[in-house]
Amino acid sequence: MVNVTKGILVECDAAMKQLLLHLDETHALGNKFIVQDLDETHLFIAPEYLEVLQTRIDDLMDRISFPLAERETD
Amino acid sequence: MSVQQRTLDCKDLHEYLKTLSATVLDRLYNHPATCLAVFRELPELSRLYIMRILFVDQAVPKAIMGSWVSPNSAKELEDIVKLLTELRLWQEVEMQGGLKGWLLNPTFRRNLKGALLGGGNEWSMKPPTDADPKARGIAILDEYAMGRWECVLHFMVGSHQHEVISSDALQILQHAGLMKKEPGENQLTITRDGFQFLLMDTSAQVWYFLLQYLDTATARGLDLIDCLGFLFQLSFSTLGQDYSTDSMSDGLQKFLQHLREFGLVYQRKRKDGRFYPTRLALDIASGPKKSMLNTMAATSLNQSSGYIVVETNYRVYAYTDSSLQVALIALFCELMYRFPNLVVGIITRESVRQALRSGITADQIVSFLRQHAHPECYKEPPVLPSTIADQIKLWAIERDRFVYKEGVLYNQFDSQADFEILKNYAQERGVLVWHTTHGRKMVVTKEGHEEVRKFWKRHSRNGSM
Amino acid sequence: MKPTGKICRLYHPQTNRKFAGKKRKEFEDESNYDEGIPDGTEAEGVPEAAKHNIEVEGERQGEDEYGAKDYRDLQLKPDHMSRPLWVAPNGHIFLESFSPVYKHAHDFLIAISEPVCRPEHIHEYKLTSYSLYAAVSVGLQTHDIIEYLKRLSKTAVPDGIVDFIKISTLSYGKVKLVLKHNRYFVESQYPDVIQKLLKDPVIQECRLRHSTSGEDAAEDAQASSKPVPDDITNFYDKMDKDEDDDDDGSLQTVAFEVNQEKIETIQKRCIQLEFPLLAEYDFRNDTHNQDINIDLKPAAVLRPYQEKSLRKMFGNGRARSGLIVLPCGAGKSLVGVTACCTVRKRALVLCNSGVSVEQWKAQFKMWSTADDSMICRFTSDAKDKPHGCSILITTFNMITHQQKRSYEADQTMKWLQEQEWGIMVLDEVHTIPARMFRRVLTIVQAHCKLGLTATLVREDDKIADLNFLIGPKLYEANWLELQKRGFIARVQCAEVWCPMSPEFYREYLACKSAKKMLLFVMNPNKFRACQFLIRYHERRNDKIIVFSDNVYALKHYALTMNKPFIYGPTSQNERLQILQNFKLNPKVNTIFVSKVADTSFDLPDANVLIQISSHGGSRRQEAQRLGRILRAKKGAIAEEYNAFFYTLVSQDTMEMSFSRKRQRFLVNQGYSYKVITRMAGMDQDQELHYKNKEEQTNLLQLVLTASDMDADEERVPGEIGGRPGPFGRRVGTMASMSGADDAVYMEYKRPSASSNLSKHPLFKKYRMK
Repeated sequence: MVNVTKGILVECDAAMKQLLLHLDETHALGNKFIVQDLDETHLFIAPEYLEVLQTRIDDLMDRISFPLAERETD
Repeated sequence: MSVQQRTLDCKDLHEYLKTLSATVLDRLYNHPATCLAVFRELPELSRLYIMRILFVDQAVPKAIMGSWVSPNSAKELEDIVKLLTELRLWQEVEMQGGLKGWLLNPTFRRNLKGALLGGGNEWSMKPPTDADPKARGIAILDEYAMGRWECVLHFMVGSHQHEVISSDALQILQHAGLMKKEPGENQLTITRDGFQFLLMDTSAQVWYFLLQYLDTATARGLDLIDCLGFLFQLSFSTLGQDYSTDSMSDGLQKFLQHLREFGLVYQRKRKDGRFYPTRLALDIASGPKKSMLNTMAATSLNQSSGYIVVETNYRVYAYTDSSLQVALIALFCELMYRFPNLVVGIITRESVRQALRSGITADQIVSFLRQHAHPECYKEPPVLPSTIADQIKLWAIERDRFVYKEGVLYNQFDSQADFEILKNYAQERGVLVWHTTHGRKMVVTKEGHEEVRKFWKRHSRNGSM
Repeated sequence: MKPTGKICRLYHPQTNRKFAGKKRKEFEDESNYDEGIPDGTEAEGVPEAAKHNIEVEGERQGEDEYGAKDYRDLQLKPDHMSRPLWVAPNGHIFLESFSPVYKHAHDFLIAISEPVCRPEHIHEYKLTSYSLYAAVSVGLQTHDIIEYLKRLSKTAVPDGIVDFIKISTLSYGKVKLVLKHNRYFVESQYPDVIQKLLKDPVIQECRLRHSTSGEDAAEDAQASSKPVPDDITNFYDKMDKDEDDDDDGSLQTVAFEVNQEKIETIQKRCIQLEFPLLAEYDFRNDTHNQDINIDLKPAAVLRPYQEKSLRKMFGNGRARSGLIVLPCGAGKSLVGVTACCTVRKRALVLCNSGVSVEQWKAQFKMWSTADDSMICRFTSDAKDKPHGCSILITTFNMITHQQKRSYEADQTMKWLQEQEWGIMVLDEVHTIPARMFRRVLTIVQAHCKLGLTATLVREDDKIADLNFLIGPKLYEANWLELQKRGFIARVQCAEVWCPMSPEFYREYLACKSAKKMLLFVMNPNKFRACQFLIRYHERRNDKIIVFSDNVYALKHYALTMNKPFIYGPTSQNERLQILQNFKLNPKVNTIFVSKVADTSFDLPDANVLIQISSHGGSRRQEAQRLGRILRAKKGAIAEEYNAFFYTLVSQDTMEMSFSRKRQRFLVNQGYSYKVITRMAGMDQDQELHYKNKEEQTNLLQLVLTASDMDADEERVPGEIGGRPGPFGRRVGTMASMSGADDAVYMEYKRPSASSNLSKHPLFKKYRMK
């Protein structure tokens, strides 16, 4: 028999995949969301977590970026 | 599902022509101006070929044509052949002795000759017989053209100048997908394509807009061929010269009024019997390509009026008080100060991301800034600091780090053979998105799933293991 | 000041005699400075008017639909095209550098305002009360400032600005404290001001009554004997003439004498009364203090910006106190030496490390006629006999620490305190905590104080105080201009992005301790990038210095690549040997150094700098490091890049934002950092370490066994204003950044909170999918 699951294929670089694994392991999105770890650059995730995941990633990326030139002069 | 950047599909002249049917195209070539415009836009080598066979009334064997280029340029030759065929400028014929040859389209030939050498029907527009007592100088024409064109843009941007544009123009904007009505709303709002459109340079915008207009031409009771022909005629006219409306058909007169609204021609009053083409008309048919053909004299309005300085510290200084220009800059910059003749802003990651989210591409932002660069920036290249251009692109790439595709995962196959069969099936169907060789897993598109599932059912029922 | 950190455990005067000597020496020369507990005296010495902030006050203007400050109602003059600048009601000024009158406008703006950013085309400055104080200190008058600003402005100058200038300048610069003929006078050209002062009881106390000569004619004023560069407009000439020409009936100098012992009292009091005293030293007529026999050598040729800065200091024949700001590597020492040669009185030079002391001595000998007998170093090392010397060079710490001193040191201190120093030069003044500086003032009596610095930027914002403690900014050079004219090297700055290896990144994400930092520093891809760059540049015969604030990484990188390295524990001898080799041995082209290199020794010329680990977001440190390679190479073509400054950052980690923060100062000076995401040929290079998973995994294991302490910055002698100890944690260290989802780096401001992006009307209407 074959197992069939609906979801979302995520493709990303190896480091980012680690990020997703980390979020999954720490239940950062509330629950685990990774259905399968496919290979170094692909994951399969449950569809209902897509939006939350994207927001989370945006958040994290925001945090590590420092405004290079600020609106308010210092 | 995947949020990919889609660039506005802006066809150049040839691409546009390829979309027309054979009959239409043939009729188009009945106009010398069209032939000349098409010819002018051909790549150099293609033009050479045309010139060589222009005066050869019979077909020319392929072998001979092939010998005109060195053997290394086989690829170039292929390209030429493809282009000229698609444009129906020539066709393949069989010659005596079974040789294959190319024959130049006779209509095209006749009219191109006429355009280049004179003779034949009078094809260019005629100036009126009497001089215009209220002649208009080029400066006025320019002002008028930009003013009119900007009405459309102002409308799209929704800036304070509540320009009213005609229902025709509204229709075109919608037809072009640049604006749309949200369900349950009366007003039009701008679309992703619309954002991209705003940042294009003027001649590209005008051309795109016109193409959309021509799409709807027949519905308006206008003859597409006539209109196109007229447009090409316009593009060969002289700036500052007025032309008579006498010999124009009703349809063309109507067309002229639309062109007037968009700023391609100037007419003091309808009953004047004369009109002046503006710079916008002269740039026609160059499409989105940088109008290098239009040399100093007829350059697009943008170049002489560059007004933006971008500094290495991400500051943007724009010498303008035009609410339209400010609105455009604000699409991807944070604005800090407004002086009477200067806007001070700053490009930030957030401001660029906002633009990217609304459909504008990094390349568009970069080329917008380059196009409108202040003359001071030309003193020391590059005109736009490379670190800024790079960073904008990097911010765009950031968004591509994750690619999402809805799909269905198949795994836990009992046998390798099973896996192979299903995988190959999906691959043939073009719905296989990802697979492993060991581990027997595969992902199929959401749409393709039904088909694959059915196939699997059939296959397993047959029970061949 | 308490000794802190490891050192205090070893230092024990009674029991650990053996260690005490050595440690005390280190301590005295170079040690951590403890900021100590604030005692509420910080704001002392700063006049009220200086606390006005036009930036806030000028905020009454409205905003446009995009959230920008709306100043469109300012009237544009008809000839605005030929004027170079805009003045905004909030005190910010924008200047076109391509204007024909740019030079004059730039000089003027430097004199009256602070530069915010000065890239290629358009500069931004801001008016502050401090900057205006500086303006009047160099002789600009309120009326003239306003007048000239109006002339240069494209629009009408906002009323608020005019008022602000008046408020900030009217009372400043009106009164001077002058030492003349061995007597101290409070002098002014505004009799009403003098009268005001004289009415105050505290000042009356300070007054010396026996002298009756209240009117002082202008026997003092003479034009400076140095040739004046002719690059300033009539305006400036006019200004200078006014100062010198006291016989011009309209302005007469009025003065009263004061008691030498009450100087500090009267200074404080005048500040309270909003009439801060400008200190000017009439050295030519100081017969009480002996001249020292020192002159500039003919070989000492001043560059235009050096001349300019000194002219500001000596413009009217007297010596003004204040700050001169020049980029690193631009020749600050020559300016200091020249100032001493001009004043020709006993000079004291304060540095921030023992090695700087050596450097200054060398500079004096190079540029001036001073010889060994005249120059003395007061450090725990040197055996010079400072008594009676003409030029004394020592460290801040040496004279301000409150530990027990040796007998000789004590004697020297006493002697130092008794002297009247003609000039005190303060080197790298931006690294000194303000409170330390106050202490210096109570110890040293100097007629004139010159602060030299590369940047007025301080993370703690105490720069304001220095204005009133040392004196106002006299001059600030333009980095880009200096670069263009070939006075400092053209540097290509680059940020090299090194992707984290998945395994390292995984650990980084999961790590909740200080070790996080170690993970992104020891990222194998970063190592490879570093190695690649070194090989690339060595092939070009470049000299390369690699900086690492973290010692663990330093050692690992250096040892693995088999390169010499220097850090705190490295002995003096070994350091010398390594540096000599670096300088002279063609086989030694790369050295690794830790933070010690920032202050502790004279780094030889290099033209490539690679930073593999730099903590925090210190802009000053970034600028300073850049300065290491800014010394222009002889014969270099001004247009080409001849120096390279690389910062290697691990992608997707906190390191990215640190790096960006550090760059800000330099970016505002006009530098731009190229981002390098890939280096061609790196992946194919078989010689680089960590090319396969196995090697990388081994490295990871190694790093994981390291301790938390290994993740710390090197706590090294030579860092002034550094952190208190291993127990204290500075804002922004790794401990506060545990886990990818947790508490955010404190200095980070979420842009969306203060941004106006959502205000674009188009975006409001457009609903993004």
